[in-house]
Amino acid sequence: MTKIPVFLLTGFLGAGKSTLLNRVLGDPAFADTAVIINEFGDVAIDHDLVRQGRSRVSRTTTGCLCCTIGSDIRSTLCELHELAAAGEASFSRVIVETTGLADPAPLVNELIPGGTPAMGLRDHLVARHFDLAGVVTLVDFVTGDLSIENHFEAGKQVAFADRIVLTKMDLARDPVTLKDIDALKSRLAVLNPAAQICDGKDPSALFLPRRYAPVALGEDVAGWLALETALRVEGAAHGAGGEASPPSLFDRHGGRIRTFTIIRDEPIAEKAIQHFLAVLTGHAGPRLLRAKGLIAIAENLERPLVVHAVQHVVYPPVRLEDWPSEDRRTRLVFITDGIDPEPVRELFESTLDPDANPFRQILAALGKGVSETLRSRAASLRLPRARRNAN
Amino acid sequence: MSENPLAPRSRALPRRLNEIKAWTRSIYDLDDGVAISVAEIACRDEDCPDIETVIGIMRPGEQIEIVRVHKLLVDILFDDLKQIAS
Repeated sequence: MTKIPVFLLTGFLGAGKSTLLNRVLGDPAFADTAVIINEFGDVAIDHDLVRQGRSRVSRTTTGCLCCTIGSDIRSTLCELHELAAAGEASFSRVIVETTGLADPAPLVNELIPGGTPAMGLRDHLVARHFDLAGVVTLVDFVTGDLSIENHFEAGKQVAFADRIVLTKMDLARDPVTLKDIDALKSRLAVLNPAAQICDGKDPSALFLPRRYAPVALGEDVAGWLALETALRVEGAAHGAGGEASPPSLFDRHGGRIRTFTIIRDEPIAEKAIQHFLAVLTGHAGPRLLRAKGLIAIAENLERPLVVHAVQHVVYPPVRLEDWPSEDRRTRLVFITDGIDPEPVRELFESTLDPDANPFRQILAALGKGVSETLRSRAASLRLPRARRNAN
Repeated sequence: MSENPLAPRSRALPRRLNEIKAWTRSIYDLDDGVAISVAEIACRDEDCPDIETVIGIMRPGEQIEIVRVHKLLVDILFDDLKQIAS
């Protein structure tokens, strides 16, 4: 029996996974692709940012696939299989777009022979019908190096790849930047000598069936998979003692990672949202791991704006032809490294509506720690009005 | 001078990872046939600190020995590992 190939599409936050997925799904030869989009955060918007044909089978999961210890990926694949068996769907490959914070080890373990043991009918069914065919990892050449230095997940995503795609290459124009690309390629080749490093010009080629062999990826990958299994066994033993069950025992992203959303019913001036993102990235820099959103623009209510910011970089916004779903509210999702939601929300409100909060109240609300700079900036945006009032 | 809490910082994780592997190999007197794996995870157990580093020592034919260090990977010192091993 031929198994359905499953591909993991991974890469750190903002590496361009949805963009690449859109390009692949735009290829008629890939019309028979089932897509699983995993998002980190309570409000899912990635599924709205990925074009899906009417016949496309897609599933969105929130929470982190790697932190739910694989249960989600097997459940979702099982669901897809049942749809196909009932004649309600037809697909010949599955692409799983992971969250940018995903640790590939537990996902790979769930999908390879000899990985996490099948525990029930569902797991046996998934093992019988699906096969992990490849791990495609995107590395943003602008922020990739910094992400690998600072985030354990970014390094593991590179290590588990059998295809590495360098993205945002169009931003490299001068000789110095081109040299940076060569340096990054050399570094990636050291981190993962077995992976092919590609430029992504032919994205469909990345998802052609092949054999994914973690053993060929070196000692680190084999070690992480084995450690993953050992921790799971240890967790199961812990749970059997009447204590916490394995899935809730640990996660992989540390207490410093925060995810939060801003939702707004009223439309926003285009200049205001650009100002907000410029101020936010200018002050938060590498601690703003990702901001992305669909914005209801006051100047054109029918055509929402897609905005992206990664660390210190704000990418040019893209105006969609129309709203991808019934939900026409502005939705912004943030993933940060140690920045609390409140100062970001204050900054947002200040940028959009300088009259919303008196300057003194903002000053009184100044906090300590990582939020201080953003709060100060939020306050300074209101300074001219406050001065006027004082006069 | 006050520290800018938002200033870029480098955790130099790949270098630290190799350093911790080398320290583990030295402290536990492990030859090249023993694989070592290091991961950083956040523990949700109330009795544990938020983040810990897990080191797996994989001796051929034996069960993996798991060493837990209740620190971020970047904060681990040679003496921390030595103390755990003693």
